[in-house]
Amino acid sequence: MKQIYICHDTITGLYSALYDAWKENRNGEAGIELRGKTQQQLFCEYREVAECETKALAIERLIKRYMGYNTYWDVYHALLSDDPVKGEAVFHMMQEARNLQDSTKIMDHLSDANVAKVFELSRRVSNEAHVYEEFIRFRELENRVLFSEISPKSQVLTCIGDHFADRFPLENWIIYDRTHHVFLVHHAGKQWKLVWGEKLDEQAALKTSESQKEYERLWKGFFESVSIKERENPGLQRSHLPLRYRNQMTEFL
Amino acid sequence: MPFSDENSGYGIFFWKQLKKPNVCAIILTEQTFALWKGWCIDVEKIHKEMTLYEKLEILSDAAKYDVACTSSGVERRGDGTGMGNCSRAGICHSFSADGRCISLLKILFTNECIYDCKYCVNRSSNDVRRASFTPDEVCTLTMEFYRRNYIEGLFLSSGILESPDRTMELLYATLYKLRHVCRFQGYIHVKAIPGADQRLIRLTGFLADRMSVNMELPTAESLRLLAPHKSRKNILAPMRFVQEKAKENRQEVALYRNMPRFVPAGQSTQMIIGATPETDYQILNVAEALYKKFELKRVFYSAFVPVNTDISLPVPAGQGASLLREHRLYQADWLLRFYHFEADELLDEVNPNFNVYLDPKCCWALRHLEMFPVEVNRADYRMLLRVPGIGCKSALRIVKARRLGNLKFEDLKKMGVVLKRALYFVTCGGRMLYPVRMDEDYITRNLLNTAERVPEGADGMTYRQLTLFDDLSWKETGSTTKGKARGKNEADIYLP
Ligand code: SF4
Repeated sequence: MKQIYICHDTITGLYSALYDAWKENRNGEAGIELRGKTQQQLFCEYREVAECETKALAIERLIKRYMGYNTYWDVYHALLSDDPVKGEAVFHMMQEARNLQDSTKIMDHLSDANVAKVFELSRRVSNEAHVYEEFIRFRELENRVLFSEISPKSQVLTCIGDHFADRFPLENWIIYDRTHHVFLVHHAGKQWKLVWGEKLDEQAALKTSESQKEYERLWKGFFESVSIKERENPGLQRSHLPLRYRNQMTEFL
Repeated sequence: MPFSDENSGYGIFFWKQLKKPNVCAIILTEQTFALWKGWCIDVEKIHKEMTLYEKLEILSDAAKYDVACTSSGVERRGDGTGMGNCSRAGICHSFSADGRCISLLKILFTNECIYDCKYCVNRSSNDVRRASFTPDEVCTLTMEFYRRNYIEGLFLSSGILESPDRTMELLYATLYKLRHVCRFQGYIHVKAIPGADQRLIRLTGFLADRMSVNMELPTAESLRLLAPHKSRKNILAPMRFVQEKAKENRQEVALYRNMPRFVPAGQSTQMIIGATPETDYQILNVAEALYKKFELKRVFYSAFVPVNTDISLPVPAGQGASLLREHRLYQADWLLRFYHFEADELLDEVNPNFNVYLDPKCCWALRHLEMFPVEVNRADYRMLLRVPGIGCKSALRIVKARRLGNLKFEDLKKMGVVLKRALYFVTCGGRMLYPVRMDEDYITRNLLNTAERVPEGADGMTYRQLTLFDDLSWKETGSTTKGKARGKNEADIYLP
């Protein structure tokens, strides 16, 4: 009977599930499903995975060692996506990699459906992360902390942490992911970290500093005047900057 | 008093420093900036007291016709002591209502100008509101916008205030403050003012990531006609100078790692298209020469937008037509830079202009049907690049994937090949997808039926900065390499 592993939609959860699946069923069939999103199928045995760091680290090492860092990069990003079949695609891809003489070349093997899936998911997530590096807008709160909120489909916070930490090393800033309720917090001069399970104080997040309003006004003014009237083209603008991002961007508020 | 006034106390010091051959920076102190402020306020009195908001409005409006809003070409991590970094592929932060990317705070330092170029809003004979920033104001705007992730850096251009030297030193002072006082490490693109002292240009180059001198118009003749105060020589001289300094600097940097870097993202330029009668062939040849002889990173083309009426300016054709022309030039430019094409292959004296209906690569392929179809599983990379429907990335994917097994047409699709164009030009395992007659008229007709997706308004390129080129079918998911360059728009720029 096909074994289905059930885990949380986190990197630790998925890695633990992959670890178990690989250990017990690498030569056979297995499925990986997300807690709360399972579809009960017939003739399958369901089991909740015991999740832990050790398993996660082990699978991370395994992938890096046998499939190379670049493949690991794709796997990691694919697992952050919002597609429920992501775990299974990675599992099957790992199986396929064993058929290659050089398993590190697995990502080139796009004619395999699972490789193509992982590839597509990884692109989707890294694209989304990149979009947020572009479109995130910070506002300065009363205590000079820079605050930003986003509603991404994938869990992109860990993908953008380094970028902003390198860019604003001497600032205190926070990015709040409204979809997954996670904070990315950076203290001046320190490493960034993720904070789960806290609630956002909506009131405090709205109290901006004195100068904030002025810079918002300046930015909006700039945004207007830099456009060439004779060439106005909302369609093109929309294709580059879809409407769904706009409700969190200063210039469109 | 500006500090380069040779008679003022500071001026004597400044020029003495400037005359030393190897100084990379002249230190400007708070005192100098205080002097500066006084002087700027004098200038400002002419246009009364103006708020920062008004100035920004005027000076960004005046800068908007410059198309080079990219922040690409240099990768630099922050050193932890200031603010900012740079990403090689560049980052767009927003898109204005005309669909163009906003990456940099694009402003003029001043729109005062002693010259009278016929095509320019700021020309001296125009009656427009004039304004000038102070170095402090530019720094504050840049830093505060950057902190909020509105922008990737600064694009600073300027009208000619008093003299080219004076203008250039203003730009230097501004960048100096931004880099050394505010410790800004993001992207800076600055104009080199033609006719300014080369030593000033050199100093400024050590503070900027990219420098550009605008070609303005493709030929010396047109320049004489429309920009009487500028000459081809005056424009090419600083370009050559920057090229040589950059080369020297690369060697120095190789030897001494801590050597400050001189315009690490290279130089670019722009040409106005459609204000003068040059053909696409002439323009493309100029561009090719600039890439080859001056090692430019980018040549930008800007469809002429009439802002002045003047008898020497043409009556503009519809915006659509000139935008399409601009689009075709960008496509051809792409072919020169990434697809190993030469200008002479794409156009010639007999056919000096691009086809309105078909992109330059398709046109080329149709004129060389004897080379097609090519076998996907064997053709070398360069030949694959020449196939309509195959872009740089898909060509690379094909070369990699075919080592792991023979490719079929379905596989090509997964790799981002636009099959409906490529199918006339390739075989997989010796077979074409459908039986195709290798006949120019027949294929042309079919290609026209597949309708190229010219970006709305036909103004793809300028609007998205990219260094890589990607393929169409990845559009829905966007497309990216590990380097995070979002290739999505490249498909808009040039459909393979
Ligand atoms: S030099 Fe010519 S193009 Fe430049 S601002 Fe002056 S008038 Fe305009």
